[in-house]
Amino acid sequence: MADFLELMVSVGEAGSIYALVALAYQVVLRPTGIINFAVGEWAALGAFAAVSFITWWKLPLIAGLPLCIAVVGAVGWITEVLTVQPLLKREAPELSPVLTLLGMLIIYRETVSSVYGVDNLFVPMPFGFGRIEIGPFAGTSQSFFILLVSAITFFLIWLFFERTVWGKAFQAVAINRTAAAVLGINLRLVTALSFALGGGIAGLAGVLQAPITSVHFLMGLPLAIKGFSALVIGGVGRIEGALLGGLLLAFVEKITIRYAPIPSGMALGAPFLLLILFLLMRPSGLMRARGEQ
Amino acid sequence: MSKAGLSWVMGIALLVVLALSLDGYAGDLYRKLLLTAALCLSFNYLFGISGQLAFSHIAFYGIGAYGVVILTYKVGLPLPLAIVGAVVVCGLLSFVVAVPATRLKGFYLALATLAFAQLFNVLLLQGGDVTGGPEGISGFSAKDYFGLPSTGSAYTVVIVMILIFTFTVLLLLDQSWFGRACRAIRDNEAAAEAMGINIFRTKVAAFMISSTLAGVAGIAYAFADNYVNPIVFSLEPLFLLLFMVIVGGTGRHAGAILGAVVLFLAPEVLEAWVGRHYLLGFGLIMVLVILFLPTGLIGLVDRINSTFWTKAVNR
Repeated sequence: MADFLELMVSVGEAGSIYALVALAYQVVLRPTGIINFAVGEWAALGAFAAVSFITWWKLPLIAGLPLCIAVVGAVGWITEVLTVQPLLKREAPELSPVLTLLGMLIIYRETVSSVYGVDNLFVPMPFGFGRIEIGPFAGTSQSFFILLVSAITFFLIWLFFERTVWGKAFQAVAINRTAAAVLGINLRLVTALSFALGGGIAGLAGVLQAPITSVHFLMGLPLAIKGFSALVIGGVGRIEGALLGGLLLAFVEKITIRYAPIPSGMALGAPFLLLILFLLMRPSGLMRARGEQ
Repeated sequence: MSKAGLSWVMGIALLVVLALSLDGYAGDLYRKLLLTAALCLSFNYLFGISGQLAFSHIAFYGIGAYGVVILTYKVGLPLPLAIVGAVVVCGLLSFVVAVPATRLKGFYLALATLAFAQLFNVLLLQGGDVTGGPEGISGFSAKDYFGLPSTGSAYTVVIVMILIFTFTVLLLLDQSWFGRACRAIRDNEAAAEAMGINIFRTKVAAFMISSTLAGVAGIAYAFADNYVNPIVFSLEPLFLLLFMVIVGGTGRHAGAILGAVVLFLAPEVLEAWVGRHYLLGFGLIMVLVILFLPTGLIGLVDRINSTFWTKAVNR
């Protein structure tokens, strides 16, 4: 049982990161309809920013974390202005922005690998290697830190979308772009902001992930795949969908690796099987958007 | 002979002459280029003409390659039977993937086929003795058939034939009602359905044909290197394929070939200057082409051609 509960902490840890990446997809996807596979690279950029600010410059976490988020958010903003806005302006096919962002994925990755090299880099655990026990749950300080920060982030993003005028503007654009524009919502600004927000969230996921695994220029794509799987499992319509999907994906992954009587390499296939099942049985995900039947 | 027929004969002759005259590293490069062009053509049919963004194309290339090797050297079938077997496996698997996947809308198709491709890679890595794990399978070679050698430039000619076969099949399809149906579905599914096109069957057939053609190229690949390993069939080469088709000109056969040639040979030239950073250049080219050249390089060629001819006529 103790073993299982400890596993649950690591499910929460991995699941939170998948959920944050899924959320980064979602904040871009909903107002724009663009699936941005480069979010994984944004997370990687966040991790590399952490290497610069926290490992090398030795900034305290309280300064380093916001700085990393701001840097990746700015990257998201600039990416939107340079590569997405011109396409939206000339009403290029729906697929075009997705494909330019795939190109950007390569650009980010190769830029990072030429600046930071191809070796593994490390970010220290902000609260040391100590083990923390809260009731029956036990894990590293980083696990609990990740859980806490993700919970706060999800709460804030939820507040933003549900309780602020700006969030409502995002929702309105998500529901009907033309009507939103008629109502005086600045579409261009909302799109740019959604990219900046997505960048910030993905960057946060990268900073949180960095101390657990090493930081490597190829770390982005697996995160992008996991995050998108989480989004599909949870459903793209609601903020909670990303969280639920991330946790469920991590749960299946960890449970098969720990308990299934198959080699652990084979268990890596389990999330993909889960994803295929979800796509076939329930393409809208667990959570349906409000207003949908 | 008609003009079109003449250019076909000239084209094939050129490809064969190149096949016979190149050997060593250049010959190896040429074989890979031909295979890449064949893959680009079939991927272009799937993505550019049928509008299905499927990330499973390289996986089918791998299923063909691994299929034929496993059937000959692990199961012990004679080569011709193994080749037929590998094609059948590709066809069946593409059917199994296509039936559920083509019912999915837009990016869900991309994701489902991505999941399939990743599963395939996990299987290759974990297949133990059957797939050889991360090291793959090596140390096999095709036996000579009908007294013809199966290595070197003779084998290059075989690959030329496969490329021509792929091109002919896709061109004939594209020019038939089937090609028009595929394009109609790509451009407007509802309108295509209203015209009486069976969306589901057309999509499944397009997926199966192009994936099986990728499998055929994979079979040829297996004996080009006499070595198969999982990295060749991972996600990265699929990105490259996508880049080639888009940079060349999505939905155009000539574009697919042009994209394959340019992006395949670019690293050979660029690697000497910039090492592995040429990939950065690929990303930049991809973004710039989508932003400023939506019809791809082949669109640019068309434009140059037409201005040239107008000038020539006006003179």
